Amino acid sequence: MKLQHFSVKDIPRRRFLELTMKGGVAVAVTPALLSQLTSCGPGAASATALDTDRDMISRVLKKALEKGGDFSEVYIENRISKQIVMEESKFRSGLCGINQGAGVRVICGNKTGYAYTDVVDEEKLMRAAEVASYVASGEAPATVVSLTEADYKSFVTVEMPLAEIADEQRIEMIRRADTAALEYDPRIRMALVDYYDEIRGRVIANSEGLYLRDELPLLFFIVQAMSSDGKARHMARERLSMHSGFEMFSQVTPEEVAQNAAREAIAMLAAEEAPAGIMNVVMQNGWGGVLVHEAVGHPLEADNIAKGIGAFTGKMGQKVASDCFTMIDDGTLPNFRGTVNHDDEGTPAQRNVLIENGVLKGYMTDILSARQLDMKRTGNGRRESFRYIPIPRMTNTFIAQGKDDPAEILASTRKGIYVQSLSGGSVNPVTGMFNFTCREAYLIENGKKTVPVRGATLIGSCMDVISNIDAVGNDLAFGPGICGKGQNAEVTAGQPTVRIRGINVGGSKA
Amino acid sequence: MNYLSLAEKLVSKAVKAGADAAEIYISAGRNLSVNILNGEIETIEEADSAGAGIRVIAGGSLGFSYSNSLAMKSLEETIEMAVKFAKLTTPDENNIFPSLNGETDVDGLFDPEMEGIPLDKKIAMALETEKMAMSDSRITKSSGSFYGEGVSEIFIASSGGSSRSYKASVCSFGVSVVAEKGDQKKTGGEYGSRRFFSDLPHSGDIAAKAARKAYEMLDPRMVRTQKAAVIFDPDVAGSLLRGVIAALNGERVLQGASFLAQSLDKQFASPLLTIIDDGTRPRSLGSAPFDGEGVPTQRRVLVEKGVVKGFLYNSIAARRAGTVSTGNASRSGYSSLPGIGTHHLSLETGKYSRSEIIAATDRGLLLNGVTGYGIDAVSGNFSGGASGFWIEKGEILYPVEGLTIAGSGDTILNGIDMMGNDIDMNRSFAAPTFRVREMQIGGI
Repeated sequence: MKLQHFSVKDIPRRRFLELTMKGGVAVAVTPALLSQLTSCGPGAASATALDTDRDMISRVLKKALEKGGDFSEVYIENRISKQIVMEESKFRSGLCGINQGAGVRVICGNKTGYAYTDVVDEEKLMRAAEVASYVASGEAPATVVSLTEADYKSFVTVEMPLAEIADEQRIEMIRRADTAALEYDPRIRMALVDYYDEIRGRVIANSEGLYLRDELPLLFFIVQAMSSDGKARHMARERLSMHSGFEMFSQVTPEEVAQNAAREAIAMLAAEEAPAGIMNVVMQNGWGGVLVHEAVGHPLEADNIAKGIGAFTGKMGQKVASDCFTMIDDGTLPNFRGTVNHDDEGTPAQRNVLIENGVLKGYMTDILSARQLDMKRTGNGRRESFRYIPIPRMTNTFIAQGKDDPAEILASTRKGIYVQSLSGGSVNPVTGMFNFTCREAYLIENGKKTVPVRGATLIGSCMDVISNIDAVGNDLAFGPGICGKGQNAEVTAGQPTVRIRGINVGGSKA
Repeated sequence: MNYLSLAEKLVSKAVKAGADAAEIYISAGRNLSVNILNGEIETIEEADSAGAGIRVIAGGSLGFSYSNSLAMKSLEETIEMAVKFAKLTTPDENNIFPSLNGETDVDGLFDPEMEGIPLDKKIAMALETEKMAMSDSRITKSSGSFYGEGVSEIFIASSGGSSRSYKASVCSFGVSVVAEKGDQKKTGGEYGSRRFFSDLPHSGDIAAKAARKAYEMLDPRMVRTQKAAVIFDPDVAGSLLRGVIAALNGERVLQGASFLAQSLDKQFASPLLTIIDDGTRPRSLGSAPFDGEGVPTQRRVLVEKGVVKGFLYNSIAARRAGTVSTGNASRSGYSSLPGIGTHHLSLETGKYSRSEIIAATDRGLLLNGVTGYGIDAVSGNFSGGASGFWIEKGEILYPVEGLTIAGSGDTILNGIDMMGNDIDMNRSFAAPTFRVREMQIGGI
């Protein structure tokens, strides 16, 4: 369960925030992107899989339930991606990829059967249906409802479709970032710039009669800057990612991303050893929300709750956190990296309040765990690709806006650690023990940020940490990340500035 | 299916399409996995998959594309994309593909019997493992058991020499359980992974170890913040040392992004530390006749008695460094460019038994759980979350958790003062128990 690497800070984060604050719903558009994809590959071949005949899909859904079972599903996916990497001011490689395939799933009671194939034709899908039906027990199967195309609300807008962007424009963004990082300070010795974009087309059909087809564009831009002053070295990261068209780069420029990475790289050259032991921690707004993503989000995913082993099992409606703590997962924030429109099982995305003023209000479910717990589907059934079974996952997860002035939170903390950004961390969702590595952190002395300290680990138990949050700022912001739980999912994590009393900090100084 | 002739055909098509040099990497495989929960099948998954990665050099520039459709029309378009994309990248005289001649003879990569063993027997093994792990009265819940297997075949053809392929199998099973006492929950898991089904460990041993890992951590305590000895259990050796391996990546060394960049032939760690990377061990995971770009694998001593003996290279990084590939091009399937990675890592054993190391420790932490990223390959710093057992006067007293440990790589690696003799070479990072004289421990 790792949310890995990278962070987004400062200017980009403010931009992300502005986008949220626009509120409302930017409806519409990922229209017919697929037809425009010829610039990257077998347009004809790729259109076929998503265009798979609906009657054929119905036959596969029926076949999958032939031996019994409560639910069957066909998931077809087509993903076309481009990646360009610059290292040491050279374009080291360009990658272009096509991944297409389909998975067939059967649910029978608590059992799931799954098979997938790269080749999407009736023979292969029928074979997959047969394999997936292995779990069926021979009881009367559910009826397959005839397929009706479902409408969905889109929270992703596109002004400059990726398919209309010349590769030279992509190259230009990378070059601008590289130049900006190196020009920031002579002690920046190298920049690594990663550009990635994809268009992921999905067809989701199931025995309940659902048929959905959509396309989601995704952009991902990462700048790493390495500083060295002859004594110390630091590799800093900054990243920017949205479901959006190429206009992402006019909202946050490559220079802003690069300068933020370079700023961190230079600041951390002066880092000293961190102290060890239990102390107060102030977490700056933004990607720091990854702490509650791990510590609270994962344990609130309903799969472990359904198994009866999750840390929050049986605590619904109970007070689990301090009064000032409200946590939300929202798959509808416009153009956010974690936004899904509908999840990979076809359930519409929504705003799910998980903890409200300290009281546990909800879990995040997929179809299976919702059935097992007799709860509603929350739009959190996600999968990395057709090669994976959907499982409960987060989308855009954050601590809700509080009332405290961030400056006041810092000023009222006599001694502790100010965490400006985290690399990432992990949690054991059963015991609730979590850990994080600080990327950029400072000592707090007499209410002021003083010297930077080297990448220390923060560890604790999720129950303790949410009970020990005693201040929540009014400066909610977000950062994009990759969440791993056996399979990857794109997410954002967010929070206002918060203070947590008593976290164990893994410094090397007594 | 044999894709070797397809790969060769694609190489000549790529050259015709404008590539000066081309390399085709095809992988094809089959996977099966079964998850068990509370005595019943929770999930069962099966799939075949195949795809091709196409790497070209045109005018000195590198382009790459991949497709998981092996229809000729798709592949031809994929080749065009690679050639077109090469035009975007910067020409570099170091962009080369290795000349393919010779490969290492490695025994026991493929178990011809594994796939023929009935599925019911494999499911029964996972069921039994869960049942045995649950039979301990201190274990209250199951997180599930599993059995998984895969067969993969790799085909490489290049304009730089003869094409080649190999077939490999892997199977694994394991279980994870929960021990509860009052409000406390502790988890424990164990698994075994082998090339041959008949080499898999006994389910009773896996079950017992998973159960023990869970219940032995009940009623943990905290200790005060202090400096003390830390004994690394074989389970966590990799959590510390994988940063050393990352720092030996030849490309990072060239970029100056490694704390060991200036350490070739220099003493950087205790003389007790010897690290070996081996791609040639029979029946071993990590072994292969050739690496991700077709270069023969080797057994190499990376660190000998605390001295860096060599870095890890693929062909391009090696040429830039003025040397030759060490057979460490790694590839995570057809969809990735060759990076740099290791095969099977092990430490050379020392002379002490685990109990002797514990008995010789006046005050310290027997570490069996570490979280975090290990030693940072760029800066050499280390900080992690820690759990295990507290030792005083040579005796294990009680479990501890919620601690942190930290230090600079330099101090920690030079501080290794006892190396054990209890190695299990089947681990992916095989290490005996070893002790670091003193580390900063964070607690109350």
